[in-house]
Amino acid sequence: MEAYLTIKSLQVDYYQDNRQITALKDVNLKLPYGTSASLIGPSGCGKSTLLSVLAGLNQKYTGEVLLNGQSPQENGKTALILQDYGLFPWKTVWDNVKLGLQIKGIARREYEQKTEEILRKLGLLDLRKRFPAQLSGGQRQRVAIARSLVLEPELLLMDEPFSSLDALTREEMQDLVLRLWQETKLTILLITHNIEEAVFLGQRIFVMSACPGTIIRELENPLAGDYSARGKADFWELAASLRSNLRRS
Amino acid sequence: MFSMILKKLTSQSLKTILTLVFLFGSWQLLALILQTPALPPPGEALKSLGAIFVSEIVGHLGVSLYRVVVSLIIATLLAVPLGLYLGKNKAADQISAPLIYLTYPVPKVVFLPIFLILLGIGNVSKIVLITLVVFYQILVTTRDAARNLAKEYVLSVKSLKASEWEIYRHVYFPACLPAILTSLRLGLGTALAVLFLVETYATREGIGFFIMDSWSSLAYDKMFAGIIAMGLMGFVLYLLLDGCEKIFCRWVNP
Ligand SMILES: Nc1ncnc2c1ncn2[C@@H]1O[C@H](COP(=O)(O)OP(=O)(O)OP(=O)(O)O)[C@@H](O)[C@H]1O
Ligand SMILES: [Mg+2]
Repeated sequence: MEAYLTIKSLQVDYYQDNRQITALKDVNLKLPYGTSASLIGPSGCGKSTLLSVLAGLNQKYTGEVLLNGQSPQENGKTALILQDYGLFPWKTVWDNVKLGLQIKGIARREYEQKTEEILRKLGLLDLRKRFPAQLSGGQRQRVAIARSLVLEPELLLMDEPFSSLDALTREEMQDLVLRLWQETKLTILLITHNIEEAVFLGQRIFVMSACPGTIIRELENPLAGDYSARGKADFWELAASLRSNLRRS
Repeated sequence: MFSMILKKLTSQSLKTILTLVFLFGSWQLLALILQTPALPPPGEALKSLGAIFVSEIVGHLGVSLYRVVVSLIIATLLAVPLGLYLGKNKAADQISAPLIYLTYPVPKVVFLPIFLILLGIGNVSKIVLITLVVFYQILVTTRDAARNLAKEYVLSVKSLKASEWEIYRHVYFPACLPAILTSLRLGLGTALAVLFLVETYATREGIGFFIMDSWSSLAYDKMFAGIIAMGLMGFVLYLLLDGCEKIFCRWVNP
């Protein structure tokens, strides 16, 4: 299959007080169309940095990053979901979700229709007049997902999206992401600290080393998206193997 | 819903009434203790307020209200965009910070004579002075609020390819609005104080003039009627700002 995302010898340096911090070094990665991938690695290894490059927010990198043959800035079909701060507290659910379409300059009737559709799909229509502060953590992340999906992105980037949720809500959200992925066939890249989540949602799993981050292991994961896999021995074996990988990195 | 609002309103007006009773009670007590014509009991002041409100006070109050409101509006229109701009742009902020901090503490009222010479004794000099004082308060508060905005919010709209204008409109302005309204409330207090001061110089209009004029003619009941009227004007303006906050910043305490 043709790769949607290609990263070749990516390096990102930060400068702070005239000191250079290399956050990412020699990162190589390929992701075919419609794959879901998870990315795990120790704290501070540059995972968020990688996503900000892919989302076109950090343009100070060297190396090659291509999304469908375009640079992240040109492409503009990428959505990014963060752990917090995803939603604007001063906008209602409705206004949060429609904002992207509005900025894109889409006609009012069309964006209202699309907003309503996605809110209904995610079971959020009744909450549309609420402010983020009036929602539970899970509801908030669902709104964040709605806000991203309404833009019909080709690549969905998620940075520890569910880490502040309780275990049950978290599983619900994982199921939701899975369902959406199966329906839309987006390409997904998910950062997580939760190894089980990485195994459940990632057809490919990338393991990164400590700072400066680079990819030290890449594996195919046939168990991804299998609801029944959560209980299987294979699932736990893979998780254990990843865990030991992370320890050594 | 409606009954809840009604309940809230009645409980609020109850509080206002209690506050008034307390204020006038203390005043009455003080007047009884001091027994001086310089502090007439509230009853007399209120009676005088009723008698001369339409004939004398309304005109002066209107002029004062005009001066304060116009000043606040101009100060807001100038300070809010500039404050948001400085809070957003680090370089501009760093260049302007010394200038702001050097000129902020200078008591602007000392420029009144200069303004009177340059701009005449009409409304312009007064409005310019009040505007100048309030401008700084709003500017500094707005700038600090914009500076402290979590940059994730900005990244989040930037990733939607928002223009500069859209970043201001959807992020900086609404995020800083609660701080802006707070600074306006503080600014209103300052504006009223400065108003009183400028109205005691070279003018024969305005509630400040009316109060000082009554004082110099020893009409203490009139003087206190003027003070009550000025207090009421401030109160109504505060209520207006509170209303704005309730409508536009519902998200803060939903
Ligand atoms: N703006 C910045 N300026 C300087 N250094 C930075 C900046 N942002 C990140 N870094 C550094 O770059 C490295 C990678 O940071 P990054 O946020 O990408 O890590 P992460 O893998 O997402 O960590 P975590 O799992 O804790 O979220 C860290 O060492 C961090 O201190
Ligand atoms: Mg991170």
